[in-house]
Amino acid sequence: MRAGPREKRKDKKKILVCRGHTAHTELRPDRSLSLFRSYLHLPQSATMPPKHYRPPGKKKEGNAAKYITRTKATRHLQVSLNTFRNLCILKGIYPRVPKKKFEGNHKTYYGIKDMTYLAHEPLLDTFRQIRAHEKKIKKAKARKNKEREERLCNRMPTYKLDRLILERYPTFVDALRDLDDCLTMVHLFASLPAVEGERIQVKRIHNCRRLSHEWQAYISRTHSLRKTFISVKGIYYQAEVQGQKITWLTPHALQQVLTDDVDFNIMLTFLEFYETLLKFVNFKLYHSINVKYPPILDPRLEALAAELYALFRYVATGSARRPAESKFVASIEEKKDSNEKMDTAESQSDLRLAQLQHQLPSNEPGALMQLLEDSNNADDEVDQDTIECKTLFKNLKFFLSREVPREALLFIIPAFGGVVSWEGEGAPFEETDEDIAYQIVDRPTQGHKFLSRHYVQPQWVFDCVNSRIIIPADEYMVGMVPPPHLSPFVDNEAEGYVPEYAEAIKQLQAAAKKNVMPLPDLDDQDLTDPQNLLAEGVMDRTHANEAAEERRKLQLLEKQYHDELKMEMSGITYSATLSNKKPDNTGSDEMQHKDEVMVPVSTEKDDEDDRAKLYMSRKKRGLYEAIEISNQRKKDKVALLKERKRKAAASKSG
Amino acid sequence: MAKEKYEESSSDEEVDSSSDEEVDSSSDEVEASPDEVESSSDEVEASSDDVESSEDESLSDNEKVEESDSSEDEVAPRNTVGDIPLVEWHKDEEHIGYDIKGRKIKKQPRKDKLASFIEGADDPKNWRKIYDEYNDEEIELTKDEIKIIQRVISGRTPHAEVNPYEDYVDWFEYEDKGHPLSNAPEPKRRFIPSKWEQKRVANLVRKIRAGLIKVSDQQKEEEHTAYLLWTDDTDSVENKKRGGYVPAPKPKLPGHEEGYNPPVEYIPTAQEINSYELMFEEDRPKFIPRRYLNYRSVPAYDKGVKESFDRCLDQYLCPRTRKKRINIDPESLKPKLPSRKDLRPYPTTCYLEYRGHMGPVNCISVDPSGQWLASASTDGTARVWEIETGRCLKIWEVGEVARQICWNPSPDRPILAVVLEYDVLLLNSGMADIDIQTKMKELLHISEPGATEDAGDSKSAVTWIQHEKHDGIRMKHFKAVSSIEWHFKGDYFTTVVPSGDSKAILVHQLSKKHSDKPFRKLPGIPVTAVFHPSKKKFFVATKKFVQVYDLSKAKRIQKLETGVREISSISIHPGGENLIVGSKEGKMCWFDLELSTRPYKTLKTHSKDITRVTFHRTYPLFASASDDCTAYVFHSTVYSDLNQNPLIVPLEILHGHKPEHGRGVLDCKYHPRQPWLFTAGADSTIKLYCH
Repeated sequence: MRAGPREKRKDKKKILVCRGHTAHTELRPDRSLSLFRSYLHLPQSATMPPKHYRPPGKKKEGNAAKYITRTKATRHLQVSLNTFRNLCILKGIYPRVPKKKFEGNHKTYYGIKDMTYLAHEPLLDTFRQIRAHEKKIKKAKARKNKEREERLCNRMPTYKLDRLILERYPTFVDALRDLDDCLTMVHLFASLPAVEGERIQVKRIHNCRRLSHEWQAYISRTHSLRKTFISVKGIYYQAEVQGQKITWLTPHALQQVLTDDVDFNIMLTFLEFYETLLKFVNFKLYHSINVKYPPILDPRLEALAAELYALFRYVATGSARRPAESKFVASIEEKKDSNEKMDTAESQSDLRLAQLQHQLPSNEPGALMQLLEDSNNADDEVDQDTIECKTLFKNLKFFLSREVPREALLFIIPAFGGVVSWEGEGAPFEETDEDIAYQIVDRPTQGHKFLSRHYVQPQWVFDCVNSRIIIPADEYMVGMVPPPHLSPFVDNEAEGYVPEYAEAIKQLQAAAKKNVMPLPDLDDQDLTDPQNLLAEGVMDRTHANEAAEERRKLQLLEKQYHDELKMEMSGITYSATLSNKKPDNTGSDEMQHKDEVMVPVSTEKDDEDDRAKLYMSRKKRGLYEAIEISNQRKKDKVALLKERKRKAAASKSG
Repeated sequence: MAKEKYEESSSDEEVDSSSDEEVDSSSDEVEASPDEVESSSDEVEASSDDVESSEDESLSDNEKVEESDSSEDEVAPRNTVGDIPLVEWHKDEEHIGYDIKGRKIKKQPRKDKLASFIEGADDPKNWRKIYDEYNDEEIELTKDEIKIIQRVISGRTPHAEVNPYEDYVDWFEYEDKGHPLSNAPEPKRRFIPSKWEQKRVANLVRKIRAGLIKVSDQQKEEEHTAYLLWTDDTDSVENKKRGGYVPAPKPKLPGHEEGYNPPVEYIPTAQEINSYELMFEEDRPKFIPRRYLNYRSVPAYDKGVKESFDRCLDQYLCPRTRKKRINIDPESLKPKLPSRKDLRPYPTTCYLEYRGHMGPVNCISVDPSGQWLASASTDGTARVWEIETGRCLKIWEVGEVARQICWNPSPDRPILAVVLEYDVLLLNSGMADIDIQTKMKELLHISEPGATEDAGDSKSAVTWIQHEKHDGIRMKHFKAVSSIEWHFKGDYFTTVVPSGDSKAILVHQLSKKHSDKPFRKLPGIPVTAVFHPSKKKFFVATKKFVQVYDLSKAKRIQKLETGVREISSISIHPGGENLIVGSKEGKMCWFDLELSTRPYKTLKTHSKDITRVTFHRTYPLFASASDDCTAYVFHSTVYSDLNQNPLIVPLEILHGHKPEHGRGVLDCKYHPRQPWLFTAGADSTIKLYCH
């Protein structure tokens, strides 16, 4: 998609370095000088025109007409570099690479069109106003005019970004497509310490928390979470919304490290845009499931920092009344003039529901189950994937211990149809509940154990979710070292290396599908065809291919042996066959096979390679070689993995 | 003041003092009033009504003071005639003037001088009396008045109690100022409300009421409201994104190695981690996988914020370009070549090896009949081999490094030309029947040594000498000879002396034993020179160009631009319209002389210098030999149809020679009739490749 990481990095460095810029050079000839010269009757050639001379009336052409350097752009827009940066961030404008860097290699170029687009932006004027306003405040402060300062501070010019969002993402799907960075950033800021006096306002951190919970509540409610992965950096989630795969990263629920080498102004500008974007996206999503936005939360749960749970309840109740409401809508639509009335009615009913919600006994699991079931029945038109996700933990009750990261699991388990509770106030059911099937613990030993439930480590949930089956909990018991946690984002077949545990899971999946383990001794015919094997689900693609390859080689050797026997019988000498040999591979298949067998395969192949390479154009040859190098690198990587694996196994056994 | 005087005139000291007090108090009052004004002016900003009332008070104070003054004034002057010369005008009148009601004021009866003198002498206060002409009366000055007069006379202030150096009291004070900016009285506009301000306020009120201006509370409320931004009609065409926008690429998804508990094989060993230290910082892996045994032991990721920040920087600082990701099978990039099977025969395998030379074989040459092979070597010998058996038939010990060897292309002149350092030997090969042998002996006999030497130059380029030892001719050149080439008829031949300037290229005639230098000046240092196989054309290769001369017109026809750095050898297609050039950078150029002066095709074949390129006489084949120990065999069909480009197909890569002192294959030649290729290597062997 773009330049490789190293190249990119260099480029950026360049940009960051060239902040202090060089003098502005104008290519136009000096008018006064020429006049002066004509007055004195001096010859025009007394001083040579500059190298890239452009006559006064002539327009710029080529790259110079399409691109502009950053310094010139800021001057053209009459803004400071900081304002320019903020504008670029908000408008989504990025530097371009002209074919020819006409002002030098070390400069940053922007498209002229982008700059005219910026010049017409009302935000530009707002930023100027803000700047002027800030000057006023500064002045008031310097004059110790507290009153005026306060008054001015309250009347800071504001701006809205909704128009920009619509401009950048004309359709909702566009916005969803670009939501990855937005979610990652919002989740990161949601986990930052909300301390007054830090570099970030507490208000914004709370806003981020709220937005991220709203998003999670929607994903969980619609069962659109697909993959999860605990990495060192945090927990990755992948959801599918309207056919778009959205991946985001949430940091671990620990104290975040704020480093000094980060310019928070830049991040906050991004965050400003992202907050607005996520707000509108959430609105649209809540609107699509008929829930009012912004949600009204149970203040008791909110106080207990269980916002997510509160949101679930809100969303569940919101969508539970959908069927009834749709009927209502249908009846209303007949008399179209009373649209407004319906709106008010809806809002009123919302409020009433929220009030009712408060009165509901929150500790009663039965009520909650009822609500969840209601919501489950509500939607009919969903794809297979969603149904699979929805039913994974169906009818299972989970309980989270104190030490387990509550927010992540509170998000994941309901997303896959499970019911979850936790240790603490406001939890829907207690630890002593007999129906709990799995208790998630993360401690060296578990004191008192209920026999009716499994005690598993958190990784079990993640692995189950990724493999879409309920994995036997034996290996994930308390105090054990769990099996390796594999990334669901890797296509093992494409990588060419399948970790051991991935195979084990595959077998479990196959078993779950067929409810029988495949027999190890299948007949020969089946083994030759990789497709058959794949269909059985026993072997993965790489292994199947390897097996088929071996098989084919064996067959070839056999055939050669038979052919030679035949030739001997008919009295053909070896030299004759040698002269008959056909050196190219483009002949009929049979001949090709014979060739491959006769001549040492490797040299023949190399020769053919070299021969073709000779005739390639330089560009194609370069491409070919690059592909070969990358393939080789991939192979080396796999070889390294296999080698490490072998060594590890040896050290374990030996 | 007048009143004071009036009272004083009829009162004693006590009264005086009391009046003094009165004056003081009144002046106090006067002094106090501006204070009041000032304080009230402070309040002006707060409320104008207040100001007015206080102003009234102060004004009334002032009036009182003035009234008292004016009443005093009215009593005092009785005469009202004004400032007229009384003495002159009223000298003869009975009256001195008029009082306020218009009645005449009678003149006092004049006392006679004596009476007045006596009166004056009796009265001790007489000296204090002054006659007031205007009112026609006598006034007695009081003590104080006298004092005042005395003080005035002596140049002091009239009143003793006046302090001329009194402290300055600012009667108008600004709140924050040290001193008043101006002494001007308060202007009126400060006390009445501004009309324009009133209008502006009215305007603002109207706007706030209309909702055009928002008060801060309202604004905050509105910030939080979201609405349905994307409706169904936002998908319309007009709302489409502007062209050329490239969305930022998504961040890379994590692999197995990024997990908190990756499989064992993804964790590098301690040794590998140490080896990372030796790498360049840019190549070093950014992330080293680690394994945590349980979830609770995973620490917070310290680079989380930094990485997020880097991503932000990437998004707005990095130029974005759409790059086509090619996901193709590399095999599909290879060109479709005609199958080699159809292009047979061509040399493929090594069939024979000719051994015997003790040093690198510099050059080989095949006799036109195709029976014999001649070779020249660094070991100082030239040999003739029988091709089919590999037997060495003849050896000439030339004593020097033999650089090149060349058979005469004419079948009835079996002569070998051997190039040594400065000499060219013309030897009778002896590979013919007796008739020809005798003819050759005659041909290679010089009766008079030095007779054919060209006399034109002071220093002759070539000297033809009889070689006694090998029974041939020795042509002694004035500088080192690099190459030799025969004309196809076998009488003429050319030698190249690269450092010979105007005598760099020489053409010799064997039958006349004559040498000639056809070029007065050459455009560069020549590398080789070749005769056209059928026409009267002559090719001279300099380092970068090939010059084509017409011998009959004695004129240059073409200059071929090879585009290579240094030409090493050239060869001409038997048809005469095509030419290949081998260069020292391993490139080979094919020229179509009819087509262009630029190469029709350039092939980068070898990794090292190309030493020799050669065409086959009859088969559509050509070959190149290089120092990288390989020889390439190519197929080349030249069509008689001018519209069709020549077909060039790489056929075979011949390996077999071993490198010696960085050199590989030094020469390659085709058999004149068979599709066989001979190669001479630096490993002192000659190889024959057959089909």
